[in-house]
Amino acid sequence: MTTGAIVTTVIMSLIFIGVLWFCFSRMGKGGKWED
Amino acid sequence: MAEVTRERWGSRYFFLFAAIGSAVGLGNVWRFPYLTYEYGGGAFLIPWIIGLIIMGIPWMMMEFGMGRYFQRGAPGVFEGIGKKWEWLGWWPVFVAFLIVTYYSVVIAWSLRYAVSAASMAWGVGEAGAAGAGSYFFETVLNLSSGPGALGAPVLPILIFLAFVWVILFFIMYKGAGVIGRVAVWTVTIPWALLVVLLIRGLTLPGAIDGLNYYLTPDFGALTNPDLWFGAFSQIAFTLSLGMAGMFAYGSFIAKRADVTNNAFITSFSNCATSFFAGFAVFSTVGFIMQALSVPVEGVSASGLGLAFVTYPVAISMMPAANAVVGVLFFLCLFFLGIDSAFFLAYGGVISPVMDKFGLSRIKATLLVCIIAFVVGILFTTGGGLYWLDIVDRTVSFYGLLITGALASIVVGWVFGAKKLREHINETSDIKVGAWFDWMLKVVVPAGLLFVVIYGGFMNDIPNAYGGYPLWAASMIWVILIVTLGLSFWLQAVKTRGPKEVSE
Repeated sequence: MTTGAIVTTVIMSLIFIGVLWFCFSRMGKGGKWED
Repeated sequence: MAEVTRERWGSRYFFLFAAIGSAVGLGNVWRFPYLTYEYGGGAFLIPWIIGLIIMGIPWMMMEFGMGRYFQRGAPGVFEGIGKKWEWLGWWPVFVAFLIVTYYSVVIAWSLRYAVSAASMAWGVGEAGAAGAGSYFFETVLNLSSGPGALGAPVLPILIFLAFVWVILFFIMYKGAGVIGRVAVWTVTIPWALLVVLLIRGLTLPGAIDGLNYYLTPDFGALTNPDLWFGAFSQIAFTLSLGMAGMFAYGSFIAKRADVTNNAFITSFSNCATSFFAGFAVFSTVGFIMQALSVPVEGVSASGLGLAFVTYPVAISMMPAANAVVGVLFFLCLFFLGIDSAFFLAYGGVISPVMDKFGLSRIKATLLVCIIAFVVGILFTTGGGLYWLDIVDRTVSFYGLLITGALASIVVGWVFGAKKLREHINETSDIKVGAWFDWMLKVVVPAGLLFVVIYGGFMNDIPNAYGGYPLWAASMIWVILIVTLGLSFWLQAVKTRGPKEVSE
């Protein structure tokens, strides 16, 4: 793969994993699920 | 008025899977990878992520939050803001209804192809590659000469369409609790299938060339307005917003439950799926380029062409396991489509109908399934593909974007963006600041109207859409005006459903 393609893959993977990890780590700290 | 308990998801994870399943659909596989390649590879991902954060997530928070606030579907939300705005809740209901009438036909094609792939009905090797196009247009669709030549329904597609609606009825008639449980499977199965397809794609010769076309950034493209149009339009279409359904899905959340974090998880999961699907698609594109000695322009495609022509070409040319890959790919499309379909039908149409007319769930579900099936027969005819394209342009482009922009303006300026933000922040895992107000009041409507004007009016007003005869292309404006008129008529009809909702 080209360097640009590899850098794009790494950066996007870090963004998605980072944001989703942060969101899941915050679950339950605000609203309560009342079902 | 009778007081009833609003139906609930049963678990936060059921809600998340249902919301992610509704957002993740066929477009993640057949639209996003092509746009990324077309508009500068990795550079496209910059405006795409910006669009997600400043437009997509605030819009999703608005639909979840307003649904939760009023505990009603889209028409009930706008009726709650003011009786004179109720029509703005019905217009996206018509958008959702018309989308699901043809979306269910595309799901029927996927099932038809899953069966055909088991015997590689379009052929293997170079003969199969050469015949994939005619198999789709002639054998499967029996395509006529134009939208004026409808012809009879194609029987196998009609049977699969009926089968799809039977499945949808049994998923939906017990409501959100069952939908959430089903969504756990309809989300995880296509993810698993995409992993299998990715592994198959990456082990094919030429795969890396395809990935280079997909991802290598061309930063010079960032100055091209088409790139920004492509990125914002993809965000507008990919999250299943503007189709009424997310208001209803939000209304099934308890009043003390989170909104913001769920919107972030749903949006980023959807976009991560798109990015991941691009690897499976473009590794295969690279293989076709090498196998047929053609340039990338000759094989990269979006929409129906990618799913039902380009991918079958690749399957034909694979050195082994053609039928297995074919069946898995079309089953993947089926599962990607089915949860978006029950989102459109249940959240978009059935729930608002129950709220308005006080119908039981089973009666409303049966009624909507039968009417949608009957309307969908149009798209199973020889001229159905043309009408599918015209109706798709009408509702999935204009309807979705215009109603989304108007809804953001009314919620942001009439209901109050600050009031909504304070309501959301009371209980959400992540608190949002005043930036949300300006995104909702200005950026979301401006972004959506930019897409409508730049990609729609500037093309479709001077020229008949798609090169169709003027009378057929004019149906875009006719359908928009008729559904708007019906929305005002429904506003005038007395609401018979329960207004007070207890927790």
